[in-house]
Amino acid sequence: MDIINKSKELNINNDEKYLVDSNEDLALIINCHHDANIFFNIKKINNMDIKCYLDKDIKVSIFYHNDSDHEINTNENYEVKENSELVISYSEFNYATTNRNSHISLNEISSRGVINSASLVNANKNYNLIVENKAKYTMGELNNYAVVLKDGRLMIDAIGKINNGAKKAESHQTSRALSFGETQKTTILPELLIDENDVKASHAMSIGRMDEDKLYYLMSRGLSFEDCTSLVSIGYLYPIFDNIKDEELKNSLKDALERKLENI
Amino acid sequence: MKRLEIKNLHVSVDDKEILKGIDLVVNEGEIHALMGPNGNGKSTLLAAIMGDPKYIVTEGSIIYDNQDLLALPVNERSILGVFLGMQYPQEIPGVTNSDFLRAAMNVRSEKPISLFKFIKEIEKSIEELEMKDDLAHRFLNEGFSGGEKKRNEIVQMKMLKPSLAMLDEIDSGLDVDAIHLVAKSLELLKEETNMAMIIVSHYERFLELLKPNFTHVLIDGKIVMEGGADIFGRIDEEGYDWIYKELNIDPIKEEVKRPTSIGVCAVKEVIKESE
Repeated sequence: MDIINKSKELNINNDEKYLVDSNEDLALIINCHHDANIFFNIKKINNMDIKCYLDKDIKVSIFYHNDSDHEINTNENYEVKENSELVISYSEFNYATTNRNSHISLNEISSRGVINSASLVNANKNYNLIVENKAKYTMGELNNYAVVLKDGRLMIDAIGKINNGAKKAESHQTSRALSFGETQKTTILPELLIDENDVKASHAMSIGRMDEDKLYYLMSRGLSFEDCTSLVSIGYLYPIFDNIKDEELKNSLKDALERKLENI
Repeated sequence: MKRLEIKNLHVSVDDKEILKGIDLVVNEGEIHALMGPNGNGKSTLLAAIMGDPKYIVTEGSIIYDNQDLLALPVNERSILGVFLGMQYPQEIPGVTNSDFLRAAMNVRSEKPISLFKFIKEIEKSIEELEMKDDLAHRFLNEGFSGGEKKRNEIVQMKMLKPSLAMLDEIDSGLDVDAIHLVAKSLELLKEETNMAMIIVSHYERFLELLKPNFTHVLIDGKIVMEGGADIFGRIDEEGYDWIYKELNIDPIKEEVKRPTSIGVCAVKEVIKESE
């Protein structure tokens, strides 16, 4: 895994894995020229600025796994050209603050942009996520899943924006947060900002505790409340790893999540 | 010998008393059929034994294997050997059958069950209950038909091997072949574990296959009649009227709630004013 500890420009032609470990603020420019799966393991960083550009007719998946013990602040901008697809996935199971602004611009016809996030929240997590359809036949999607523990503070502002002229564009979003503590606080703002008539758009959102009947059903088979919390959390958070192709990496992250859940 | 002993059990739901003094003893290896018209407390009794927090025990005791069940949370009752095959099993999206069952088996043993042993056992149960091969990887009961959910309850029971199995209308939603399949599966498990069983069912066919040692009839929160197989045969033929007559008791009449329409009230007000 290549280590990134200073600002740099990355030209992506293949699958890549990076470890971000820096005491300095970073600025990254990512130029994607071919299909690729990119993995960033974020160990330490304070402020990070990312600008990412996709050429046309390619498929790129970027996975950010936040493993930092320190607060991180990111500003991320992604620009997608004609007939290209960008899938960004965030997994965060660390106990430190994250302030993230992430913006995908679907600039050209038939481009697609997806933001997925899975968060085990035991600290402050503030996400401002935007997928903006700027051209015809573009498709934007936001999928956020979170398990909020007793000391967690989660704020998600999820925005699907369709500009005037982006005919036949689609914008869809789902945000679900499951809370397990009395003192947690969860806010999700699902927003659709639409300035075009000929579009399809949808949003779904839920915040709440686990259903008491479901909890009773699981406990009636011998599982404690803590066991149920772990099992259901895995169900919420595991699907994010479907966005990783590398099986070894996928399994190591799943194991790390399971270990984390054993101790909650 | 493990023994369930219920004394003078009173249970309320939403401040309404459903069980009004139940006494029942179930010994290891015995099969008890629990019958009665709908809404008279059969499911309440099983849920109270299992520990559903919605059911409040206001009086009485439940002792199982010399332990006070009422002092134990639901999960500890399960670990003690109590199992309830539910009438309406819950769907749990995101949690696979295999993850769920492995976790449930692991809390029962000091060492986690090996993957090999687990796969072998679940495959055997799936085959026996004629479930689809992908059951282990499907989310718990999600998208299952009514019959699949009931058979999945039996799969869980076979994996967890309880010493007291309670089945709440497990036969409803099952076709004739599946009823035979489930009955056979229960018979095999009983041979293996000598578990005690309490069966709630409305169908003589299912009870005939299981051959209960005792039959109890529960009406208006009380066990009003006890006996052997002859009782469920007669109930199947004649219904419950003969019991009401024989014991001189009135059936519970469901309260008919008439809908209240604000619109109608408003109209009446207007009429009054115009008068």
